[in-house]
Amino acid sequence: MSLIRHSLYVGVVEKPPPPPLTEEQYGEMEPKYPEGGHYLSVLRPHGDDCVRQVFEEMRALFEQNQQDVEKALDGAQAEMFPGIRMRHAALERNKRCVLAYVYNRLQKIAQMRWEFGSVLPADIKYNLAEQEVQWFIKYTKCLATYMRSVRAEGGLDLTQDLKPPKSLYIEVRCLMDHGEFETQDGGVILLKKNSQHFLLRSECEHLIRQGVLEHSVH
Amino acid sequence: MWSCKLSTGTVYAADKEPRTEHRVLVLVAFEIDALCACKILQYLFQCDHVLYTIVPVTGKQDLERAFVEHSEGVQVCLLMKEDDLENIPEFRDVFLEDESDEDDLDNDSDDPETGQKKRRFDEAALIKRMEKRKWEENRKKILFEYTEFSGYGLSSSLLLYDMAWKMSKDTNDLLWLAIIGVTEQYINQHVERDKYMESIAELQPHVSRLNHRPDDEESSISIDCLKVMFDNELRLTMYRHWSLFESLCHSEYTTCKFKIWTMKGRKRLHEFLADMGLPLVQCKQKFTSMDVSYKESVKDLFKKFQDKYSINEQDLFLPSFHAQYGYKNRYCATDVIYASEAVLQDVEKEYSDSDNFLHTLDLLNRSKTECMEKGIEMAKIQLSALVKQVQSFLDANLVISAGPFLYAFVQEGTPDVKFFAKPINLARLARFTLEAYCCVSRNKKVKTLPFVLGAHHNSDMGTMLVIGIPPVLDKSLKNCFGKAFEQAAATTNSRTLHDFFDSHIIELKSEDRSKFFDALISLLQ
Amino acid sequence: MSSSHDSRGSQNFEATGDYFSLDDILATQERIPCTFQTEVLNLGYIDPSLDSSNIPKGTKLELPFWLAKALCSRRKQCVTIDLPKHYKEVYRDVFNADANVVDLHKLGPYFYRFGSHLLHFEHPESPDIAKSLLKVFQARFRDIMDASQNAYDQDMSKMTEKLDEMEKVIFFHGQKGLKDLQMWETREGEKIKISEMVINHRKRKRTHLDES
Repeated sequence: MSLIRHSLYVGVVEKPPPPPLTEEQYGEMEPKYPEGGHYLSVLRPHGDDCVRQVFEEMRALFEQNQQDVEKALDGAQAEMFPGIRMRHAALERNKRCVLAYVYNRLQKIAQMRWEFGSVLPADIKYNLAEQEVQWFIKYTKCLATYMRSVRAEGGLDLTQDLKPPKSLYIEVRCLMDHGEFETQDGGVILLKKNSQHFLLRSECEHLIRQGVLEHSVH
Repeated sequence: MWSCKLSTGTVYAADKEPRTEHRVLVLVAFEIDALCACKILQYLFQCDHVLYTIVPVTGKQDLERAFVEHSEGVQVCLLMKEDDLENIPEFRDVFLEDESDEDDLDNDSDDPETGQKKRRFDEAALIKRMEKRKWEENRKKILFEYTEFSGYGLSSSLLLYDMAWKMSKDTNDLLWLAIIGVTEQYINQHVERDKYMESIAELQPHVSRLNHRPDDEESSISIDCLKVMFDNELRLTMYRHWSLFESLCHSEYTTCKFKIWTMKGRKRLHEFLADMGLPLVQCKQKFTSMDVSYKESVKDLFKKFQDKYSINEQDLFLPSFHAQYGYKNRYCATDVIYASEAVLQDVEKEYSDSDNFLHTLDLLNRSKTECMEKGIEMAKIQLSALVKQVQSFLDANLVISAGPFLYAFVQEGTPDVKFFAKPINLARLARFTLEAYCCVSRNKKVKTLPFVLGAHHNSDMGTMLVIGIPPVLDKSLKNCFGKAFEQAAATTNSRTLHDFFDSHIIELKSEDRSKFFDALISLLQ
Repeated sequence: MSSSHDSRGSQNFEATGDYFSLDDILATQERIPCTFQTEVLNLGYIDPSLDSSNIPKGTKLELPFWLAKALCSRRKQCVTIDLPKHYKEVYRDVFNADANVVDLHKLGPYFYRFGSHLLHFEHPESPDIAKSLLKVFQARFRDIMDASQNAYDQDMSKMTEKLDEMEKVIFFHGQKGLKDLQMWETREGEKIKISEMVINHRKRKRTHLDES
């Protein structure tokens, strides 16, 4: 009984209104608007415990309803019905919150493939649940397979040229000491802070997106 | 020794093949001329898809480090700095032996022997030992003669502009950069006036060619395009962006001429302005807000009254150029130099040298006008500090004659000492101080004396910067201090660092100051 | 989101596709004053002040929208609802007077979204609420657009903190359009930029380091 109490507490009475999963567990949900629209700026740790708790609640709600439905079938329909409906609504609500939680995190994780590249920073990876890591790997694989299949020779890197390129080569400035960088033709360039380089655009676009280099436009 | 003479040949003539597999390492010194040259080169490389890496280098050690770090896979390496004397010794006399060190200098391509530098002489070692010893002695002698005096050669940006022109890739923007490079050499007294006038004469046809526009409506171009014009400029520092009065008080020539740091001098300046019929109120407000009638007649008025105040026209006027783009942006070459040098020597703690370098490159970008405005404000602050320092030198009689030369020190704890811990500002302070001292000193001889200035540099290391400059009357601008400093340090075991490309600026342990100076005095006697 | 989600719950999301929307989840959490028309067994604990194991008939409680909606279907009404006060006539009159001065963030922050959800109840005043919502939006839209198109780099938080969540989205889209145009004009558009997530990741790391 106490579990159900908790469930409906979280879901119904407490103020300010948290959804069955509290705000905290939706990843970072404080609305920030650098570009408009809600977005989870960086993923918080996966709220495993909280999700489990919600499942517990849902199980308790379900079992209670099961009992009440049996009673209702025995003839006590009128008295039981409102309670069943209330618990059912709470079940549906919990389900929606959990699914939305999972869904929105996956959206974010997919986006990370495009923004961070195929290797995630360690501290971000640490915040993912094991299944999410697996999903990310699968997503990366799918994307790679697709990109390979686009053209007959060599495929097409969709993560390149997110903006239409104006020239084959671009000038970049190094924003941090990044160490050595091997170019496609086998040469090695030392990316040292405040050095400037003229490089093949396709080679350095990823490094620009990751904030190692800055594209200088005249 | 670290010289680099570029001629049209070095980079381009050698290979007509697609050059993309080569990477060019460009090492750039902290000088405006070098920066301008670097920008011209960047443009040319970008046109031709030549891959490059640009690394700023503050001194010789930095140069070595940068070369070691970045040279992997580099085919050609260019060093951008103002050139030393023109009579560079024969290549084979100097570099034959030390092939490993000198690869970074894409040296004197006039010399057909260049290709030899990689050849080792091991196989012939025995037979040639005698010859080699002779050669070494000869080398020493040549090097001594070569390094005894140091000076500057042709502006690298002019050289590169010339190259761009020969490749038909010259644009108005590149021309403007070349003008800035050339003017910087003159402003910092790296070249004498005749040489400067030669360069100006060389640039002028380019200016007329690239800025020639027929008058009819159809062929007129947008106001936002760069227009470069020749002008006989007033040598008043940044007066278009300051007030006329402030500018008069901060320009080397007028300040010294009127001895503005004295009451009498101030009065004379007021008199001068009154004579010309320029109300003080007008002179003290921003030049841009001055009455148009005054603004337009300033130059003529100066010309008219210069004789009465025995002002030398050559000192007050400078044949130069100015650039205009948009309605608001009008800068003469010297404005750009003061602004960019101020940014290059920004003393802000959060910026490293290489940050300043990049900011200065940005400033030289025409599109970033806000950088330019910021640079001009910084230049005003630095210049005011400089004039104040000159005044305190003179007020407190801190310029002292050591016999063969004059000297002065900026002590630790002096306000604004941080500005003079930078070589360009220190050099400017030295010239300004010497000029001012010569104006007030009754002794005629001081004009024939060189000047040594020391300034507190780094508290943690306990070091000071020391610069030596030639006498006021010596118009050849040859500087003997590079060698002198080296010898004085060697004979006294003073702890010095000869790291700057300009050998007449060194870093010295403050504790070793007195013995170093004693040696210097006996050396120059 | 596609229409495939409509079977997921008792609520129909087909029209709005909002099943996974965090905004919608938050909006449907807003409370509505309800009166129980039947007794509900064993659920008295949801209001500790009830002091009984059942919810007696006639109890007045503020229930979140999603629960109120489930209990208020046309088939069998367990509760009757009253309008939240911001949607009542008194407030509607205020909006009529000058919608621009109202702090919708304080009244919302999902004022429009929650308001349109309210219409599901087919309350007698529903048509008036609908009209009022539209009017408020129209009245405020001009100011929002003006502000978004004329604020390039200024701090607009004074303005935006009074906006409803939906209005904020509109405002920021407007601003983004302005910035994109400006970037295009200065040829900044062709510049490859550091990705948004990387910036945020760094900021977070830095603040984290500062704190520790």
